[in-house]
Amino acid sequence: MTIHNIYIFDHKGGLLYYHEWNRIKQSGMTSEEEAKLMYGMLFSIKSFVNKISPIDTKEGFLYYKTSKYTLHFMETPSRIKFVLNTDNNAQDMRELLQQIYSQVFVEYVVKNPLSKLSEPIQSELFKTKLDAFVKQSPSFLAKPL
Amino acid sequence: MADETVFDFLHSELVNYVIEQSELKNKDAKDEDLSNLEYLGFSTGYRMIERLTKEMPRFKDELDTMKFICTDFWTAIYRKQIDNLRTNHQGVYVLQDNGFRFLNNISNGKQYLELAPRYVTFTCGVVRGGLANLGINSLVTAEVQSMPSCKFHIQVQRS
Repeated sequence: MTIHNIYIFDHKGGLLYYHEWNRIKQSGMTSEEEAKLMYGMLFSIKSFVNKISPIDTKEGFLYYKTSKYTLHFMETPSRIKFVLNTDNNAQDMRELLQQIYSQVFVEYVVKNPLSKLSEPIQSELFKTKLDAFVKQSPSFLAKPL
Repeated sequence: MADETVFDFLHSELVNYVIEQSELKNKDAKDEDLSNLEYLGFSTGYRMIERLTKEMPRFKDELDTMKFICTDFWTAIYRKQIDNLRTNHQGVYVLQDNGFRFLNNISNGKQYLELAPRYVTFTCGVVRGGLANLGINSLVTAEVQSMPSCKFHIQVQRS
């Protein structure tokens, strides 16, 4: 099982953080362009899912899956968005995203007075903690496909 | 957990406010003027002592007082004790906290080191105020070499 990469967006769609672990294919765009494209797609899927849903949904869009990878999506009530790409075998990614939010993002970004909340994250401490957190999760295994 | 977070956030806003005020007042100064922050800490510490020691016997000597600062006083504010207390028995004490609460979430190394003084000044004042109310006049400075650990140097002023 593999975790490919993570995107964190703020409530306005700005990219707060991007990191990749095992990404085999690059998109061929600059990372800014890619982040905008990613955010635009998520925005569309979200509104699509909410409009087309035949019943009232609580959570809305959760994830999508292709033949090769799965994109997991989590949005907090404060509209911070976490996006994680994994292979199709990964389990319990919602829990992992929730933990990344509460144990890494809140601790080392929100509670760090030197981190501005709407700017890309610079804190080295956050980077190392996130990296360690993802690597210790059972879904992370550096095995190229 | 939430009640402690309120203190953390309030403290960081306090730091921002004091920095902003000192920049407005004195634009060309190279060093930040943190004396207001230190004084706020001083009055806080001075009052804290009244509340914490109301049921305690008097302290034997200076070292006894310092031990109280490292244990009960520190626990009341930061929910942990000082990790290491050293003294030269001539009025100089060094209190070392290996995971100082206001630095814990900022960095674990040298990043942001130049801004660290902002986050330890209030506490210097708290310690000085606490000691002042126990009858010890002192000079308290802090030294941060690598976050989140911090050393507080206390120099007792004898007259």
